[in-house]
Amino acid sequence: MKKYDQLSSLVWLAFAFYIGIESLRLPLGSWRDPGPGFLPLGAGIGLAILSLTVFSQARFRTEERTRQGWYSQERWKSLLVILGVLFGYALFLDFLGFLVSTFLLLVMLFRLVEPQRWVVAIGGSALASIASYIIFEVWLKTQLPKGIFGI
Amino acid sequence: MEFFANLHMAFSIAAQPENLFFCFLGVLIGTLVGVLPGLGPVATISLLLPSTFHITPVAALIMLGGIFYGAMYGGSTTSILVNIPGEAASVVTCLDGYQMARKGRAGPALGISAFGSFIAGTMAVILIMLIAPPLANLALKFGPPEYFTLMFLGLTVLTYLASGSMVKALMMACVGIFLGTIGTDTISGLERFTYHSYTLMDGLGLVPVIMGLFGISEVLFNIDEQATKREVFQTRISNLLPTREDWRVSLFPMIRGSLIGFFLGILPGGGAVIASFGAYALEKRISKHPEKFGTGAIEGVAAPESANNAASQGAFIPLLTLGIPANVVMAILLGAILMHGIKPGPLLMKQHADVFWGVIGSMYIGNVMLLILNLPLIGIWVRILKIPYPILFPLILLFCLIGSYSLNNNVVEVAIMILFGIVGFLMKKFEYEGAPMILAFVLSPLMENALRQSLIMSHGSFTIFVTRPIALFFFAGAIFLLVSPLIPGLKKRPQRGEIG
Repeated sequence: MKKYDQLSSLVWLAFAFYIGIESLRLPLGSWRDPGPGFLPLGAGIGLAILSLTVFSQARFRTEERTRQGWYSQERWKSLLVILGVLFGYALFLDFLGFLVSTFLLLVMLFRLVEPQRWVVAIGGSALASIASYIIFEVWLKTQLPKGIFGI
Repeated sequence: MEFFANLHMAFSIAAQPENLFFCFLGVLIGTLVGVLPGLGPVATISLLLPSTFHITPVAALIMLGGIFYGAMYGGSTTSILVNIPGEAASVVTCLDGYQMARKGRAGPALGISAFGSFIAGTMAVILIMLIAPPLANLALKFGPPEYFTLMFLGLTVLTYLASGSMVKALMMACVGIFLGTIGTDTISGLERFTYHSYTLMDGLGLVPVIMGLFGISEVLFNIDEQATKREVFQTRISNLLPTREDWRVSLFPMIRGSLIGFFLGILPGGGAVIASFGAYALEKRISKHPEKFGTGAIEGVAAPESANNAASQGAFIPLLTLGIPANVVMAILLGAILMHGIKPGPLLMKQHADVFWGVIGSMYIGNVMLLILNLPLIGIWVRILKIPYPILFPLILLFCLIGSYSLNNNVVEVAIMILFGIVGFLMKKFEYEGAPMILAFVLSPLMENALRQSLIMSHGSFTIFVTRPIALFFFAGAIFLLVSPLIPGLKKRPQRGEIG
């Protein structure tokens, strides 16, 4: 955990710098009348100090809790597939329309991570996309995108 | 007499057919998501938030509230039968509940947790009716300094009670405050951190952020940890009714659990998780047979299950009387109330009496529904538990996608959600908690306004926070919590991961 804490605290420190620099571009106001940059700058400074605390605590900690690595190529493949499919869905949703893109999304999720039989994947996807269409579009009157097929 | 007049008003509103229907729907959905690991009340409420625009604000709050306390009921079922808590507030129920199930006493364990929740819910409703009106009157005296210090205290309590490092929890609160400042500044009208994105001008949406942090990240985490296979304990669940001896042993733990839960629930930053751990720890400490805890002691189920239910209802008090959410779920409900054009706060009880009392009345009716719903339907919940995760997770992801899209019909918000899903996943891996971030994110605009108004009032002097008695009280409490871990000799701060 020691190494992870050092690594993550440095990432947060960098984020704190980003917040600080961007906040300074906004009017800070005065103590009497704080401007829009006041609170974000405060949050950035706080985050920086705390990140350094976590870093130094981890640096001087002797005990090393052993735990599973946070990265493993095999497990991460599924995660990247899922994220890719999700981003693809966001990208094509307006173009393909809700029914088509949802059906494709579900088929891929059912097949790509822990492959289900085709019957289950296609049948389940069709059922779930139509059911969610009925619940959200017809019943709850949510405006779902129609896409090029008009559905 | 006012008490009875309020009681009458509460029930007459809650018993209207529309409100009854949405109350039923809420507790049913709540129990369902409580049973399903990986889909908690937070994600569900944010998912259904957009759909509540078509119903009245009272019905919307009744339904969303029902999901919250319904999930507390449902969560215990999985804790007892599978040793997997359906949601965080039922973690501690696993300890004795699962052991009871292994000894063939799954029935009484499920039964006592349902009865315990019911008794706690009933006590909580009565306490809310007694406490809320005077508290709202007191809150009318609050000015910006009091509100600022109270929210500051709330955030501090949440970080103090964080399950891991307090420093990390404080970091997440800072990040949350920053995220809350994204968008157009309400006072100056200037854009902050928007980079000319139309979506960001209104600020980051609560729904995509929460569904990413709690919905998507949970799915990614489960798949990564391969926590996808689980066994349902194969036992015939017969005789749900606890015996007379069970009742004798559990009655006082239930009452104590309800009281602890209720008061921890009111405290901003407290909440159901801490309440359930607190109640369990107390019972173990005062028990004549502490060694029995962890081996299937029925008190170990009754106390935390009562506590988490009482806490989830007590949490409505700061929201409805002060307009300050005590926990993440209340933060989403705050968003829901605001979207309906109602400003929660001390005046809610006067200006929107129907909303206030209707919600409170519905909680009692909801508890009766849950009792009726839970006991006979346990067989169905067990069957739902057997749905394999590879089938379940695509559906959870689909719900999140629809939820984040349908709020504003905006694909950018879907992308924001996925992004926060990745952030949330990494935060889990590196042991940073999401709850302080979300609470700070929601409180940030309120805190900023209160801070800026306070400083304008005091001509830039920070002494305004220590010269007004109520503000000083809140401020001193927060500072005490912040420095107490540094004082040697003070007892180590309690953590959610530790029991008794």
